[in-house]
Amino acid sequence: MSAGSERPEGAIEAPAAAPAHWAHRHLLDVDALTRPDIELVMRTADEMHDVLERPIPKVPALRGLGVTILFYEASTRTRVSFEVAAKNLSADVVNIAAASSSVSKGESLVDTVRTVEALGADMLVIRHSVSGAPYLAAEIFSGSVLNGGDGWHAHPSQALLDLYTLRSRLPGGLLEGRKVVILGDVLHSRVARSNVWTLTAMGADLWICGPSTLLRGFEAWAARGAAGRRFTVTSDAGAALQDADAVMALRIQKERMASGLLPSLREYAARYGLTNERLRAARPDAIVMHPGPMNEGVEIAADVAAGPRSMVTDQVHNGVAVRMALLYLLAGTRRTEAGA
Amino acid sequence: MSGSGGHDTTIRGWAVDPGTGHEGAAVLEVRDGVLERLVWLSGADAEGLTPGAALILPGLIDLHAHFREPGNEDAETVATGLAAAAHGGFTTVALMPNTTPALDEPSVLGRVLAAAGASGSPVRVLAHGAVTTGRKGETLSAMGELADAGVVGFSDDGAPVRSATVLRNALAYAGALGIPIVDHPEDLSLTEGAEASEGYVATVLGLKGWPAAGEAGSVARSLAVLADVVRDVPGARLHLTHVSTASSLEHVRAAKAAGLPVTCDITPHHLALADEWIAGARRWAWEALDGDGRARDPWADGALVARPYDTSLRVNPPLRSAQDAAACRAALRDGTADAIATDHAPHTEVDKHVEFGWAANGISGIETALSVVLAAVAAGELPLATAVALLTTGPARVLGARGGTAPGLRAGEPADLVVVDASGAWTPSAASLVSKGKNTPLLGRVLPGVVRLVLAGGRLAYAGD
Ligand SMILES: [Zn+2]
Repeated sequence: MSAGSERPEGAIEAPAAAPAHWAHRHLLDVDALTRPDIELVMRTADEMHDVLERPIPKVPALRGLGVTILFYEASTRTRVSFEVAAKNLSADVVNIAAASSSVSKGESLVDTVRTVEALGADMLVIRHSVSGAPYLAAEIFSGSVLNGGDGWHAHPSQALLDLYTLRSRLPGGLLEGRKVVILGDVLHSRVARSNVWTLTAMGADLWICGPSTLLRGFEAWAARGAAGRRFTVTSDAGAALQDADAVMALRIQKERMASGLLPSLREYAARYGLTNERLRAARPDAIVMHPGPMNEGVEIAADVAAGPRSMVTDQVHNGVAVRMALLYLLAGTRRTEAGA
Repeated sequence: MSGSGGHDTTIRGWAVDPGTGHEGAAVLEVRDGVLERLVWLSGADAEGLTPGAALILPGLIDLHAHFREPGNEDAETVATGLAAAAHGGFTTVALMPNTTPALDEPSVLGRVLAAAGASGSPVRVLAHGAVTTGRKGETLSAMGELADAGVVGFSDDGAPVRSATVLRNALAYAGALGIPIVDHPEDLSLTEGAEASEGYVATVLGLKGWPAAGEAGSVARSLAVLADVVRDVPGARLHLTHVSTASSLEHVRAAKAAGLPVTCDITPHHLALADEWIAGARRWAWEALDGDGRARDPWADGALVARPYDTSLRVNPPLRSAQDAAACRAALRDGTADAIATDHAPHTEVDKHVEFGWAANGISGIETALSVVLAAVAAGELPLATAVALLTTGPARVLGARGGTAPGLRAGEPADLVVVDASGAWTPSAASLVSKGKNTPLLGRVLPGVVRLVLAGGRLAYAGD
């Protein structure tokens, strides 16, 4: 899936040189981002991070541009993060919490996007429970669409902020050969899917771990090594955590028990919960991440979440910088097109 | 062309007659709708008449089409469906009973046949009746009355006959009437909420998987029930429609070898498209295999050219892997599959221009079916004679005597044939499709084979430019 209107061929075999500028009109997925694209996001996020250190963390980069944040799923942290990011760039921000389902007679996504555009939005951040919905929005919307998370499919800004956080803690910011573990319910996780693309693009030794019922399909993905990328899938938490440089725990939801995918939360916590004891197998300086919101005592122990390894508050802080960078880069393609 | 319906024409081309097994250069003379003369040509007379030029085939038969009337005339009517059928080269269609109300008793059949009559189309309309009342899966429909009224099969298509007990009773009761049960194989406990075939593509796209076992398990169950029933009711017959996986086809192959009275069909989209289309690939399924017969990785080889999550690709059963599509073509070649059936499923824009997971299932396919099959023929994936048989004599055998006259190019009988310019190409578009359903992933794609003339029962059904 393209991050923009053009799908660069062989996006994975990244050219050595960084691109002169950002060429993607939309950010709908991370699968077509080249390594230079990702590095440009990281460098831009560094600049935005500096902005956030100022007494008044605000720049006029998006002044006069309308950013509409259209969320079809309840989410406080991602929505607020985008809102803060857009406001820091001086954009005019509109928030829409929309309710929709396949059976409700509410306004259709197509109609809503047309309305949002008519009301003056230049950029649209969309969160939706159905995989692929942002592509439908992008087909209609004449500005830029930024995927704020769709179904099980993708969460580009989360994967990029995770990467930014990892780089901030690894020597030289380099992931080559570093063992990164994604632990938990990957089947239902757009965060996991997007991280597969970004982490493998940066050369990490990626391990995907969870109960076998929640790994469904990932063995097929790993076997194909999408676009030449490799990762390891295992239900053995011990093997996954052995000598790990970083562990990303994913939220486990109670519905997974009702649908028969897991015996109990208690059993999940005992076998896959990220505890200090389990982390002893990892490297001494290993870091711990979580996209939030956390179920402490289930997928992550409270003392780990609040402990010295935890990057959770860094992730929240970095999230604003990375989202500022993404809005800034996408706005740049608008300016280029308008000026051309 | 004569106004009273009887047609006069002389046609020269490459005739394929699966009724007799003859294939070759021929000239056909049609007078007042009757095929008066068929002369096989040779030597200088046959010059220029090759399979790559004008093809003359018996009128095609579709075992599985949804014309949506009564109940959803915004998506299709009997009249628009018949016009689309003719445009696709079909002179006989068997309609599915999942209308509103369902075709579970003769009065609904009467409405459908009245609409067909009013349309003036010479395309022959056959109908499947529902297996159960209201397609609810509980009590048998008015099977005997429907049989008297002329239905050719019983199907709850759109859904499987969920209860094995109901299936057993239906096979027995319909078997005594000499009518097959046409089952849509799906184990709903494995497919609830499914959006795409389980596997690599669905995983990467974050789409809920429809596992192969969701079909193969249902096929195995139905075959086991059939084996029991047929001991008591020798006339019992099972037809499995839109079979899509290698594992299901293995069950059918074994059952046929064991002598069970089972037949099956495969759709054009399951033999020619693969799940990678949902990711944005647009190559034929046979182009998506590597030298070892494994599916290629569209994310790695630059095959992703279209926007992903195109809802025209949402269909049930879902598009499968390129290996499954290859297994479908192998089954069509070796006789495991008996027919190609379109599962023509037109939908409105309202039902399709929505989020992928919420889009209605179905592809509008009756106008593109022949072209898709000819693309497979051109690629060497199906022999021409086999392909034609799978669209004519194959479905006729599934229908049996209730399907009417066997297809063939026979002098002295009303002309029922299609003339195709095999060297020509066309591009389906919202404007060029006659069906109300524009929901096909083939819009904008150049397809081989242009239907030039269709005669149905001696009358003109379609004439191209
Ligand atoms: Zn069906």
